[in-house]
Order: sequence, then structure tokens, then C-alpha cells
Amino acid sequence: MWPFLVSAWRAGLRSRSIQGVLVLGVLLVGVAYLSASFSPRQPRTVALDVGMSGLRVSLVLFALFWVQELVGREIERRTVLFSLTYPVARGNYVLGRYFGVIGLLALAALLLGLLLWLVVLATGGDYQQGFVIAAGLPYWMTVGGLWLDAAVVAAFALWLSTFSTVPMLPLALGLAFAVGGKSLGAVTEYLAKGADGDPELMRFAPFINAIQWVLPDLSRLDWRAWPMYGLAPEGLAVGLGLVLAASYAALLLALAVITFTRREFQ
Amino acid sequence: MTANLRQTWWPGLLALLLALSFVATAERLKSVPRQTVDLELQVALPLFVQVFMAAGDRYLAANLAAIRALVVVTEKMRPEDYRILGKVQEDASWLNPAHEDNYYIATAILPWNGELDAAQTILRRASLARRFDYQPAFYYAFHLLHFKGDPVGASAWLREAAEKLPRDDERLIMQNFAARWIDRAHDVDLAIRIVEAMAKQARRKDFRAYLEQRVARLQSLKELRAAAGRYSERVGHPPLKLQDLVDSGLIPAIPSDPFGFGFEFDQQGQIILRKTPPRSPPK
Repeated sequence: MWPFLVSAWRAGLRSRSIQGVLVLGVLLVGVAYLSASFSPRQPRTVALDVGMSGLRVSLVLFALFWVQELVGREIERRTVLFSLTYPVARGNYVLGRYFGVIGLLALAALLLGLLLWLVVLATGGDYQQGFVIAAGLPYWMTVGGLWLDAAVVAAFALWLSTFSTVPMLPLALGLAFAVGGKSLGAVTEYLAKGADGDPELMRFAPFINAIQWVLPDLSRLDWRAWPMYGLAPEGLAVGLGLVLAASYAALLLALAVITFTRREFQ
Repeated sequence: MTANLRQTWWPGLLALLLALSFVATAERLKSVPRQTVDLELQVALPLFVQVFMAAGDRYLAANLAAIRALVVVTEKMRPEDYRILGKVQEDASWLNPAHEDNYYIATAILPWNGELDAAQTILRRASLARRFDYQPAFYYAFHLLHFKGDPVGASAWLREAAEKLPRDDERLIMQNFAARWIDRAHDVDLAIRIVEAMAKQARRKDFRAYLEQRVARLQSLKELRAAAGRYSERVGHPPLKLQDLVDSGLIPAIPSDPFGFGFEFDQQGQIILRKTPPRSPPK
């Protein structure tokens, strides 16, 4: 498994599309800095808030592109067959690639998180906000939550890659999964509170409830109210969110190993 | 040769005809009115759509809505525009109830333009989410007193705001305020002081200027009400029109309103701020 992980790291860092996404990440942090100028009272909070949104978008794109580069394209070009000639189980290839991707994601989260951290602290000049942001542990815990969110998306895209015969399918469905999973929290809350009394929308409530059996609520991994307003999330909510994400990613990985082991390459 | 010439000319002629057709259509289309969709749908999107457009990120959707609320040009807005602004800001407060800019902008604009209910919803949500911030409850209390004439409810909310203050002496001062507010419905002085305090806290110069104009407007209202009181004492009945105050020599001229809306009488004969621009210059 280790050689697959190391080769994933090497190839991931060399990939040109990833360099493009990295530039996008830096641009999004720049947007966060500019967005602070729209805030009359809380420029740092707004920079942090928009920056976290940019970080999440970047990490999800990183995850999808890396899975595409390191697994999808190898299968498409049949270069994966060279890796499979090693006298190891096929599952090792899948797991090595996955841990390689989430390692790369951790590095990206650290670098972009550090850049955003510096930008947020430099925002606002001499202006002292009425309520200061919590830039220590709460900030880095939130970055960690976004990394975990991207790791779940990576597991989903990896699972798709193991059986997909259309190269762009994992990328497109992975993006839909990331948006759907993140929206789920807001949508279920809206319906649970009666959807502003709209009976048309309430008809979707059973459907949305059923979706939660197959789609994880990724908004449970977003704890940014903690660094922004000092509102620490409840321990139970964080713990269950972590278990939900870890078990879902592990399930997808298991499915990916099973599918990939049985796949026949012509 | 003739066949060759025909082959060379036909495509050019066709291109010329198509170009003429394009230019003529573009020119004619300029005068055809565009189809407009319902204004509310145009600017206040359903919550679902806002969340999906922000890639599922409710915090980002809230920021986008709050920034939209901040950049609107209020001088040219009509009552229906304020209704939409209220909806946009209510949505932002649902997406992120703790958003400080959102409740602050809502307080500065909405209740003064007929959207008190939206402002109160936003402040109530902010007060629940921001357990560390006394201001949403404070503004909620002030609106109850000033706009609803409910000093008892206002006093209760002010006591709630006091509980969120970090220091004992500050808590005591606000609790004292809560006791005094019971006697102070419709107090223009209080409104002036609160809007002045908001202007001092504003970091953006244009927004501060907007709030200062609002203070100037309230000061003009205060001046007019004082003159109307003196008029009633002198003549024995309240003035019927603002010009009566000038004609009686109590004020040199009707004060100008920085927003251009002017002042009017309500059904009880009290001078109030106009919420819409007058059809003719105010008298």
C-alpha cells in the first residue's frame, strides 16, 4: 500500500490541473480579503466566513481532481495495469491512492488555512471589532472539519472511479454529491420548521428524510460559528458528525475495494 | 466564366443580406419593451435556490444576501423595494442568524421604512444566536418602544439585553434604563441618541453619512414637534399644516429633509416623518 501512497503524493504534486486549483484557492482567499471591505462592523469575521467557504470549495475541487488524476485517468489510460502487476491485493492500490489523496488534502488544507489565517489577521487594519474572532484552536478545528468533508467527497469519487467507464462521471457526480451533502442540513432544517407554511414544499419532506439514509449531512462538519462568534459546537454533535463522516467514508472505501477487485480490464 | 462569377458572388451577397437583416433586427428590437418578471422573484430568491447557488454553503448564501442589503441605494427605493430588502435580510438571518452586519443594517434601514416586522424577526433571531451580544435585544426593545408604543414589552426586552452585558455596572445602568423606558413612548430624543450611537460605530464612511442624515431628519422632526406644541399653546388648537408654524413666526422655515421626503401629519394630528417622496414639494 505504501508505494501506491507515495506515488500518489508525487503524481499529485506534479499534476498541472492541481496547480490550477491551487491558484483558484489563493484567489478565493483574495476574495475573502476583499469581501471584508463590505462589512461595516465585523470585517475579520466576514473575511473568515467567506474564506472558509472558499477553502471548502477549493478542498472539494482538490479532492475530485486528485481522484480523477490518480485513479480515474490511470484506469482510462490502462496505466493502472502496471500497478496491478505487483504481487499485492488490488485493495492495496485503492487504499494507497485514497490515503495519498487525503494526505495531499491535509497538506492543501494546512497551506490554504495558514494563508487564510494570515489574511484574516491582516484584515481591517486598526479597526477593533466589537467581538473578536477566535483564531486559535477553534479556527484549526474548523479547517480540520472542512478537510474531513473533502475526505468524504474523495471517498465517494474514488468509489465511482472504480466502476465508472465514463471518465468525467466521478468528477460531475462528486460535485453534485458535495453540493447535495452540504445543502442537506439547511434543507432539512427549513422543512422541519414548516417551510414558511408552504404546503408545496412540505410535500418534499418525506423524500428529503429518505435521502438522509444514503447522503451524509456534510454541514455537520462545518463548525465555523466557533471561530467566528465563539459559539463552540456541542460535543455530542461534533462526535456524531465525526462518526457519521468516518463510517460513511469507510463504507465507500470498502465498496471501492470490492468493486475494484472484481473489475475486469480488457 | 459566368458560372464562376455567380459562384463567387452568391456567398458574398448572402452574407450581406444576413448582415443587413441582423442590423435591421437589432435596431428594431431596441424599441421593443423587455418582458419583466415579478419584482420579488427577480431579487428575493427562494431559500432553497440561495443555498444551492452558494454550493450548499448556508454561510456563504447569508454573506451574499447581507452584502446585497448593504450595497442597495436607499435614496431611490420605493415601499415595495423595502419589502424585498426585508425579505432578503430575513432570509440572510435564517441562513446565519448570528450575522452581525445583517442585523445592524436591518436596524438602520428597515423599521424606518415600514418593514418593522422583518427587522424584529431578524433581531429576535440574532438575539437568540448571539448569546454574548446585548445589542439585538436592545434594538428590539427600542423598536417596541418607538414604533409600537409598547413600553412594557420594550422594558422586558431591555432587561434581557442587560443580562448579556459583561460588567455589573453596565447591567445596572441598562436595568435602570428599562425602568425609565416605561414612561417614554414616542420619544424623538431617544431615537436621535440611538441612531447617533449607531453612526459612531459605523466603519464605512458612506453608511455613517447615511445614518447622520437620518439623525438630521429626526432633529428636524423634533424641532417641528416642539414648534407645534408652542403653536397649540398660543393659538389653542394644533397646526393644520406645516406652513402655519412658519406663518406664526415660530420657525423661520420648514426644515429641509436630507432624504427629500419631508414631514406630514398622522391621523392623530402628530407630525411624523414621510415614508415616501411627496408628489409636490412639502408644505
